[in-house]
Order: sequence, then structure tokens, then C-alpha cells
Amino acid sequence: MSVRGLTCLVLALSVTASSAQTAQTSQSANRWRKTAPESFRANAQVTGTGGGVASGLTIQIDKYTSDADHAALVKALKEGGNGAFVSTLKTSPVVGKVTMGDRTFTIRWARQQIKGDSRRIAVATDSPVFFAGAGAVDAKPTAGFDIAVLEFTVDSIGLGKGSMAAAAHVKPGGPTGVQVDDYSGKRIDLVTVTRNSS
Amino acid sequence: MSRLPRPFRRTAALIIAAAIASLLPPPVAAQSSKVKQGMPEIFNGRARVATETARGDVYWNIQIDSYTPEKELKGMQQALQSGGSAGFVEALKKAPVAGHLKIGDKTFTIRWARKQPSKNGHVISLVTDGPVYYVGAGLPDAKPREGYDVAVIRIDLDSSNTGTGTMAAAARVKAGGASGVEIEDYGAEPVKLVSVMRMIS
Repeated sequence: MSVRGLTCLVLALSVTASSAQTAQTSQSANRWRKTAPESFRANAQVTGTGGGVASGLTIQIDKYTSDADHAALVKALKEGGNGAFVSTLKTSPVVGKVTMGDRTFTIRWARQQIKGDSRRIAVATDSPVFFAGAGAVDAKPTAGFDIAVLEFTVDSIGLGKGSMAAAAHVKPGGPTGVQVDDYSGKRIDLVTVTRNSS
Repeated sequence: MSRLPRPFRRTAALIIAAAIASLLPPPVAAQSSKVKQGMPEIFNGRARVATETARGDVYWNIQIDSYTPEKELKGMQQALQSGGSAGFVEALKKAPVAGHLKIGDKTFTIRWARKQPSKNGHVISLVTDGPVYYVGAGLPDAKPREGYDVAVIRIDLDSSNTGTGTMAAAARVKAGGASGVEIEDYGAEPVKLVSVMRMIS
């Protein structure tokens, strides 16, 4: 179970846009300005050597993280790595929750990026959701994977897909400046993401 | 995953009555301690964990090279009675290899294999000398794994050698209860074995 970086997963930490894109984004942003609170349903799937697991989850976003809180997290990550990031995340305001069955996980970071008619949405919970593969006899220790990161894209209708690092460790690095490693080394696919009608 | 978590918080032991029965000494006439004819026996199937909101399936393969001699079975049963779970595991690890369970790229050694006639066919009970998987251990608040040192499998076959079964994928075999043997499963409930089929060689 090698750990593989889920680069490009955290979108908003390193977003730069050209002026042309900015103009286009501005128009699209108006369309999405009033998006939170909003919720999404997603089917999570993970497959392995001899089988797979599927489950459903709900992502409730009450509001998106402010630029100030976001900047504090970026600073913590750059200056203190995963430990500082997690500490800062745990003290950030609650902005939503992820629900799986009867379990609820608190979202303390949520950002969205407008891309034409679609949005890329990323959220981080302040605790891990699931250690995929931890039931194996030779499973590695779970320490250090303290959060979960979900990322998905939805179109203007509210349909999309994405992935989840269900037990994640973040560190500076990679092409986006942020690298997300998952405990299992394999991301959980979020298929048929659907925005719930309010 | 979503509905899975709840049962795993419960640490109450799950007694698998059927598996217990299969571990008890069978009637002398029903014993088939060492069947060489037709060996090895190979079975395929799927292992399923299903709840209201989540489901997992994996394919498995079992090869039984020989059924455990009655002498060895009795030795392990005596070890259980006298030495408890630890005594049973110690005796199990010393028993001859009876076959293997394969799931994905992992192989587990079977050291207890018994086949008994049933109303519609046969019942096969198997015990591996190590746990196969700690179902529910992926949860953030999973309970400790210590003491769950084996896996216990029961397969019910009909006359056409197809059937179903259960697996306590990480189990603790204990002396006690009305039957004298209790099986405590790490998971909240045994994994279901479905689409079980004996392969024709």
C-alpha cells in the first residue's frame, strides 16, 4: 500500500488565473455567488485486487471558507507543515459536515473554483473519515493521517464526480504547492455526485 | 462504509452457533478425518459485507489438500479446553497444513479442515492460522485487534456442491457457553460467503 500523492487535489490553495480567465470567471461567479448553503450526495467506490466497496455519503456546505481563514491555513501549511495545518484547521470555523450513515464529520475548510459552467469544490474535515485497507493483517499505522479531503466537480445542473482522500496527510510540495497523501495510497472515487435541490 | 461503522463500535462477542457446531466433535460415523480421494477440493466464491448503506465484495478461492485427521482435531479441542484461546491457537499453528485461502494477492494457511455430511449435502468448517481481515478496523475509533488470531469459515454445500457460508474473518475461539466452544468475531457480524461453488477438476 504505497502512499501516492494526490496532487492537484486542493484547488484553491494555489489558484492563479489569467486576466482573460478572470473576466470569464467573473461572469460565472455571479451565477454561483449564492451557492451556500448547499449539499451534495455522492456514491463512494473503492476497488482493489479482488473486489470493492461502495457507499453513499452526503456533503453539506453551510458556507465557504473566507479568504482570511483560508490564508491562515495556507500560512500554517507553508510554515509548519501537516502538524500546523491540522492544528489550524481544527480551530477554523465549522463550515459544513460530511455524513456517512450515522457518522458525521465536521468540515472546517471548503472552497470552490469556478471553471466555465462548472465548479470544482474541495472540502477538508477535521478528522479522518475512513482508513481504507486498515483492516488488513499487515496494515500500516494510521498515525499522521488526521483529516479527510474531498474534491469534486459539478456542472451547472449539479451533476459531477470527484475523489476522496478519506484519511489524509497534507504537506507543501508538488505542482500546486500542496500535496495530499492518502493512507491507502489510492483515492476513493466519488461517482455520480449530485447537488441536492434546496 | 456509511452504515458499516455503527456495528463496529460494539464490542460484544458474536457467537456463531453454526460454526460452533461445526467445531464440536462430530458423531463417529460422520467423521471423514482424512479423505485423500478427490483431493484437492477447490472452491470459489465471493465474500460480502453488506449493510443498509454500504456493501463490499471480494472474490476468494479455497483449496483443501486434505481434511484434518481426527487425532489432530481432538488435540486442538483439548488444547482449547485446557489452555483456552491461546492454547487453541498454539495447537492450531502446530497442526499440519490442510489447505489455503486466497483473497486477492494474499494467501492464508488453513490448519483445521473438517467435512461433515448435512441434510442437503455437506458442511465444511475451516480455521486459518491467522486472521484474514479485521472488518471495521478502518474506522477512526476501531477497537484493538489483539486476541483475534484466527479466521473461522463455514461452508454449506448442497448435493451439487454449490452453496453459501459465513466467515469470521478475525476471530477468537474460546472455551465456554452451552456448547463448550464460542467464536468471537472482531467484526459485528460474520462475512457472508455467497456464490460458493466447488470447482470440477
